[in-house]
Amino acid sequence: MPASVRYPNHVAAGGNQPPAGEIKNPLPIDSANSADGSKVFSAMNCDGCHGGGALGWVGPSLVDGRWRYGGTDGALYQSIFYGRPRGMPAYGGVMSPGAIWKAIAYIRAQPVPSVVPTQGWPGIETAPRRP
Amino acid sequence: MISRMRVAPFAAIALIVLQGTSPRDDGQWTMPGKNYATTRYSGLAQITPANAPRLRPVWSFSTGVLGGHEGQPLVVGSTMYVVTPFPDVLYAFDLTSEGYPLKWKYRPEVNPTALGIACCDAINRGAVYADGKIIYNLLDGHTVAVDAVSGREVWKTQIADMQQGETTPMAPFVAGNRVIVGPSGGEFGIWGWVKGLDLATGKILWTAHNMGPDSSMLARPGRGRYTGDANIGVSSWEGDSWRRGGAPVWGWISYDPRLDLIYFGTGNPGPYNTEQRPGENKWTNSVLARRPGDGTLVWAYQFTPHDSWDYDSNAEMILVDMVVGGRMRKVLVHFDKNGFAYTLDRVTGELLVAEPFANVTWAKGINKRTGLPIVDTTKTTGASRGNVKGICPSLEGGKSPASPSAYSPRTGLFYTATNNLCMNFEAAPVTRIPGTPYIGATTPYMPGPGGNMGEFIAWDAARGRKVWGIKEKFPVWSGSVVTAGDVVFFGTLDGWFKAANARTGRELWKFKVGSGVVGAPISFRGPDGKQYIAVYAGIGGDWFLLSGDVRSDDPADVRPPADFAPDLARHTSQGGIVWIFGL
Repeated sequence: MPASVRYPNHVAAGGNQPPAGEIKNPLPIDSANSADGSKVFSAMNCDGCHGGGALGWVGPSLVDGRWRYGGTDGALYQSIFYGRPRGMPAYGGVMSPGAIWKAIAYIRAQPVPSVVPTQGWPGIETAPRRP
Repeated sequence: MISRMRVAPFAAIALIVLQGTSPRDDGQWTMPGKNYATTRYSGLAQITPANAPRLRPVWSFSTGVLGGHEGQPLVVGSTMYVVTPFPDVLYAFDLTSEGYPLKWKYRPEVNPTALGIACCDAINRGAVYADGKIIYNLLDGHTVAVDAVSGREVWKTQIADMQQGETTPMAPFVAGNRVIVGPSGGEFGIWGWVKGLDLATGKILWTAHNMGPDSSMLARPGRGRYTGDANIGVSSWEGDSWRRGGAPVWGWISYDPRLDLIYFGTGNPGPYNTEQRPGENKWTNSVLARRPGDGTLVWAYQFTPHDSWDYDSNAEMILVDMVVGGRMRKVLVHFDKNGFAYTLDRVTGELLVAEPFANVTWAKGINKRTGLPIVDTTKTTGASRGNVKGICPSLEGGKSPASPSAYSPRTGLFYTATNNLCMNFEAAPVTRIPGTPYIGATTPYMPGPGGNMGEFIAWDAARGRKVWGIKEKFPVWSGSVVTAGDVVFFGTLDGWFKAANARTGRELWKFKVGSGVVGAPISFRGPDGKQYIAVYAGIGGDWFLLSGDVRSDDPADVRPPADFAPDLARHTSQGGIVWIFGL
C-alpha cells in the first residue's frame, strides 16, 4: 500500500488518482466484514459527516449509488486514505489498511434505493393536462 | 394561523427604556444586531400595519452561492454590504444608482478544507462595520478587514485552527477598538475561546478560553467581580476533559458601554456522550460577561449544567432596562435552545425570570434561588442509558441561536422564531480524532405536540409569557426585525417572507422569496429617503443537513427527505438571493 502522506500535499495534487493498477478489496462483502465496518464507520467518526447509515450529512450520501470521485474499490480506498479537496480528511496513518477495507465493505453492503433520480410527493400523481 | 394569548397591558411596561440606542434612527444598519444592545429594532416608521399589505419587491440579486444564507446585510451610508456563505464573497452595492450595481466585490482565498470541518453547512452570519472597515470571518479560521470604500483588504488575521476542528462562520463584533471573534467546533472537541483583536491592525491582543484554569479563562482575582470558585473551569470537569470540551462561540455578541461589558453565549460541551465528561462542565452552555479591553471575566451563568441534549447557549443576549418585579433593572434577555427564556440582571448575572417559551420535557422548571434547572432525570442521556425518548425541545433548540430575536421599546415585547420539535437521543462512546467530528449520539427528530413544527411569537420578558404567536407548518429559523411602525418581519423555511402587526400578531403581508429563509431581515432608509426591508433567501445550515433533498447541485449526492418533514423540498431548494422590499 502507499505510504502515509501529508493531506495538504494531496490537496495540491487536485485529488486525482495517480495512474496505477486497479486495487481490489481483499475482503469479501459479507455480514461479518460489514458489521466490523459499521463499527469502524462510527469509531472513526465517519458518521459525523456522512450521517447515520451513510445517508449524507455535511458530507455527501455514500448510499445513493453516485460518487464524486469514483466508486471503484480503489477510488474509495484513495478517498479515505488521502482525503479529498472539499473537506474529506486523509485517514492514511490514522486507519490501518484493514480498517479502511472494512469500512468500504460496510458501505458496499448498504442498499441503494432503486428510484434515486425521481422524488415525488403524495397527491400529485395526476397526468399533465392541456390547458 | 394566529393563536392569541392575553395581550400584555402596555401601560405596565411603558417604563421600559431601550439600552444603547439613540431616539432618532440614522437609517443605517452597521452591526449584526443593529445596535450594541442587539435589539434589531429599527426606528423607521414609514411602513405601518395599514400600508404593509402594499409592500412589493423592489430589487433582488442572486449571490451565486448555495450554502445557508444566515445573517444579514449591512447598510452604511448609501452602500449595502452582503457576505455570502463559503466562499465568503463580500459584495458592495451602490444604492444611489438604478438597479443597485456593484461598486466592487472582494473574493478572498478560502481553504475548501473548511467545508469538511464546518459542522452544519458552510454558512456565514455576517459582517460588522467600524472605523471605515467591513470586518467579517472567513470559514477557514481567518478574520478580514476590508476598506469600506475601495474594497481593498486592510488586514487578515488567522484566529482559529482548522486542524483542531475550529471554523469561523460567526459575525465579529466591535466594542471600542476591539474586534471580538469566536469559533465554531462544539461537534469537534475544540477548547472554546473568544479573542480580542486590535481594530486598526487585526493583531490578537487577548485570548480568553471558556474553560480550563483561571489563567486561561482570564478570570483574574481582584479584577472584576467574577465569583466562580477558583479554577472552576477545571474542577467542574473530570481529568483534562475540558481540553476537548467544546464551548464554541458562534452566536451573537452584545455590549453595554456604560458597564463596559460584552455578553456572549457559549455552546455545547463535547462530546454529546455525557459519560465522557462528568461534572457541570463550566462554562459551556453559559453566558459570559467580559471586559472587551483585556478579556477579563466578570461574571458567568450556566443555563444547562452538564448538558445532556446539545442545548447550546449561543443565542443573542438582548440588553434592555425594564421593570421586573416592581424594580427597574438593567437586564439581558436570552432565548435558550433548552426552551426557557431567561431574564438576568446584566450587572451581576442574577437570575430574575426563567419560563418556558417552547414545549419542554427535559426540566420541570428553573429554580430561581439556585439558578439550576429542575431536571427530569428520565430524560438524562449517556452511553449507558440507551435510547432516551421524548426529549423536547430537540437539539435544534426551542429556538435556534442562528435566528436572532428582536425587541421593540414601543411594545415592550421580544419577537422570536421558535421550533416545535422533539427528539430521541442515543449516546455512544466516541474517540477524538482532531479535525473530525466528536459527537457520539444519534438523535432522530419528530414534530412536537400540536402539529405545527414552528411558531413565531411575541414574548413578555418581565413576566415570562407568550403574548401572541403565528403558527407555522415548518420550524421557524429566520431572524426578525421590528420597526417603529409596529411591524415585525420574519421568514419561513418554505420560502415565505412575512410582515405582522407587532402588537397583535395579525399577519399583514407575505411574499415567496425563492428559497427558505434562515437569514435575518434588516430595515434601512435608502438614499431616496424611503424605508426599505432587506433579507436573504437561501435555505441551509442545519436544514441542508436535515433535508438533504433541498440540494440539487451535486449529481453525486442524492438524499431522501427528512422523515419528520418529508415535503419541505416540495416548497424550496437551495440558492442565495438578496431581496429588498419597499412601499
